Amino acid sequence: MVTKVMQIILSPILALIVGVFFLGLARKIMARIHWRYGPPLVQPVIDMIRLFYQKSVSHGRMFDLGIILSLAGSIVVILFLPFGRICPLSNSGGLLVILYIMLLAPLGMALSAGQGANPNISIGISRKLILSLGYEVPLLLVLLAVMTRYKTISIVQVVNAQQNTGWSVFSFPLFLSGLSYFLILPAILGIRPFDVSSAPQEISSGPMVEYGGKYLALATIEHAFALFISIALFVNLFLGGGANPITFFIKMLVVFVLGICIHAVFPRFRIEQAIKYLWKWPTLLAFLGLIMTLVIRS
Amino acid sequence: MSLVALLIIAFGGAFITYFSGKISPKLRNFFAVFVSLVLVAIIGLLYGKSPNVTLYPGFFGIPIILRLNMLSWFFAITIVGIGLLSIIYSLEYVKKEERLNYYYFTMLFINASMLGTVICGDLISFFIFWEIMSWSTYLLISYKGDRAIAAGFKYIIMSIIGSLAMLVAIISLYTRFDTLEITALASQMQTAPVDYTLFILILFSVAFVIINAFWPVHTWLPDAHAEAVSPFSSVLSAVLVRKGMYGLYLFMYVILGLNILNKLSAAIFSFNNVFCWIGAITIVFAALTALLKDDSKRILAWSTVGQGGYMILGVAFATALGMAGGTFHILNHCIYIALLFFVAGAIEHQTGGVRDLNSLGGLIKKMPVTFIGGLVGISGLIGVPLTNGFVSKWLIYKTLILEGYPFLAFAAFLGTWGTILYGYKFIHNIFLGQLPEKYKDVKEVPFSMQLPIILLTMMVLLFGILPGIPLKVVDAIGTSLGFESLNVSIWWGIASETGALNTINIFSAVLIAAIFVWLLFRSATKSVPVTQDDSYAASVHIPKDKYHYTAEFYNPLYRMIKPFLRDVIDEFYYWIAACVQRLCERVRHMYVGDVGYYVTYIILFLAFLIFVQLKWKPW
Repeated sequence: MVTKVMQIILSPILALIVGVFFLGLARKIMARIHWRYGPPLVQPVIDMIRLFYQKSVSHGRMFDLGIILSLAGSIVVILFLPFGRICPLSNSGGLLVILYIMLLAPLGMALSAGQGANPNISIGISRKLILSLGYEVPLLLVLLAVMTRYKTISIVQVVNAQQNTGWSVFSFPLFLSGLSYFLILPAILGIRPFDVSSAPQEISSGPMVEYGGKYLALATIEHAFALFISIALFVNLFLGGGANPITFFIKMLVVFVLGICIHAVFPRFRIEQAIKYLWKWPTLLAFLGLIMTLVIRS
Repeated sequence: MSLVALLIIAFGGAFITYFSGKISPKLRNFFAVFVSLVLVAIIGLLYGKSPNVTLYPGFFGIPIILRLNMLSWFFAITIVGIGLLSIIYSLEYVKKEERLNYYYFTMLFINASMLGTVICGDLISFFIFWEIMSWSTYLLISYKGDRAIAAGFKYIIMSIIGSLAMLVAIISLYTRFDTLEITALASQMQTAPVDYTLFILILFSVAFVIINAFWPVHTWLPDAHAEAVSPFSSVLSAVLVRKGMYGLYLFMYVILGLNILNKLSAAIFSFNNVFCWIGAITIVFAALTALLKDDSKRILAWSTVGQGGYMILGVAFATALGMAGGTFHILNHCIYIALLFFVAGAIEHQTGGVRDLNSLGGLIKKMPVTFIGGLVGISGLIGVPLTNGFVSKWLIYKTLILEGYPFLAFAAFLGTWGTILYGYKFIHNIFLGQLPEKYKDVKEVPFSMQLPIILLTMMVLLFGILPGIPLKVVDAIGTSLGFESLNVSIWWGIASETGALNTINIFSAVLIAAIFVWLLFRSATKSVPVTQDDSYAASVHIPKDKYHYTAEFYNPLYRMIKPFLRDVIDEFYYWIAACVQRLCERVRHMYVGDVGYYVTYIILFLAFLIFVQLKWKPW
């Protein structure tokens, strides 16, 4: 019981540290690729603390509640995700529940931002939702392939199965799915070339435009969690999870740095181009992966 | 005798309401609410009982049987429950309309006939109640006139096709087995040859699939739901459409049973499998079509089509889990879609009949209760955790994945993601963003309209957090149809061997996390409330009504998917209708009104007969 409570408290904190570290690291790596020096690694932390003390504007109750719901949703997802061996709420519904609770964060954000009455926000959210429909098609096929392959809907069992049979990204049908997941990872993370929803130069950062002060701080934390969640999901499903938090973290770091390298050199897609891309190669790979899985199973 | 009394109250109440309306509108309203309340009370009291009444001589000497079991109780409680709420909602909603006696009468009459279909125990009374239901529904769909009449006409034509198929099957059953009693048929059908079973099943399925509006016979539903009066749209979408599901239960599981259904397969096709794929196509097609719609009620109507797909996926899959998921989804859909139609109706009522999503906006501060109702309803429709829709969808997905049908699961998931898009559009375009100048004085709806919204909102959340309560009933239905029992507990959700769903855990996690974040939020510097003029326009004057991005909300996506989503089926039906019309027109031209022509026709016909007789000698 005590260990469980400890885990419940510990895992969001660990996730926060990792996520915020990634945010700082991203800026540093980006800067180096662009031949700049870049801000210090702790810059996001400094920003966040500063933001909490700054003045901000509110557009109404939903504007406040939405952002709270969004962050709370992210925290809950983290309780369901195994982080190394830490997984406080592992047996409350499995991958399907994770998939659905992952909705709470963007939904809360969309509701909160929606009350901002700023057309840029609406455009940003509409793009975000279209993009999410775009990457959900391959993502769902990928997740279904994994669940069908291991005949379970529990993410803990997927991780355990990989301890015996090796990483699923190196097993036969699932490497197609793994490759597909990696190809859509930038879209899930919302980084370039898929940063259509928060395009700063076109629509003033879209949903973020009305956020200032503590709202921006909470949104940044939420972003850090979102980074953590989508990468941790990949590591758990395809890279065999981790025997302890350290190895898990190292795996995450490798995936993240690869993603950032893509982010640093690609220009932004238009939303139609993004959808066309997402529904072409990643979907094809994921589809093949699922069919192969089915064939092998039967 | 309580079932006879129930029917007498239901039908008699409708007539009393009608005639009391001649005396005073207040009395009529009182009776309408009172009758519906009594029906809810009676059905509530009958929980767990199984009365059985046989009436001699029923119809042409065939006895009429009334009975209640878990399955029919389940459907009956949704009928009377939604019936009561929609009557309460109507009190204010239709106040300014004309012909209110007629309105309340048909409303109650439809409820009574639906109640009849679920409590009768033989096919002849089933058919009679079914027909009463179809006709009275037609009358109420076309209540508003104009476009509603066309919509009602579309409905009644498709409904008649279904009824005729059903009638043929019933006559065939009667001539073969000499009984129409459901329990007797159930035992007789066990020995019937496979092809005959299939023939009967297909005929009945035609009727039920049409009323359920599955693809490819969905075309009547969007028109009818959108054009009907909002409280009645709720009834239509929440319970009436699902009478088709009741029919499928009755024939697939009560009369035939699993053993026979499993025999109905050839190669990879089986009867259930075909139904599953119909469900999958329905889900995806409806979800993507709803994306393109700009009419609040039409979006909801399309979502009704789509959610039907989930039900049939679960039910046709015929495992204990899938069955529970499908059955539970019927209840959940009934709750949140009624809620959403009430919300759409409230908006329509307060803004003077506006259903166009592109011209609304910013109503959250004007109509907070309606907003919460809409938000919770949409969350239920999407299946956000902690709303009821999540639990049933979870059960269905889990069945599909574990049984090895990931592509069906994929269709179901894709439908959900489509639902997120149009669900958010519904919320955003009505409640969020800029408030147009003309809606400055819009007020919240009166309490009698708020009450159904509040009650249904609470039920969506209650059944989402404590799904064990309704699942007890759902489980009892499953076991009565011969499926194994699920391990359901009221407090701890579902705990089957293959993985549990613990909604209490999720609920407490979300609650604690939210409280924690809220405390963090509170402790930071306080924010200043501002308006759109202040922040977006930076205190510069901006033209009103122009800064709300709604029209073609998902424009890039529209352009991509629109060519693929032509409703070819609907166009095909219209083409058939046009052909029939042309044919009739030609036939009409034969009747020129001149006796000479008619004599010629008769002589020609006689000549033809004589020729036939001389040539082939058939007589």
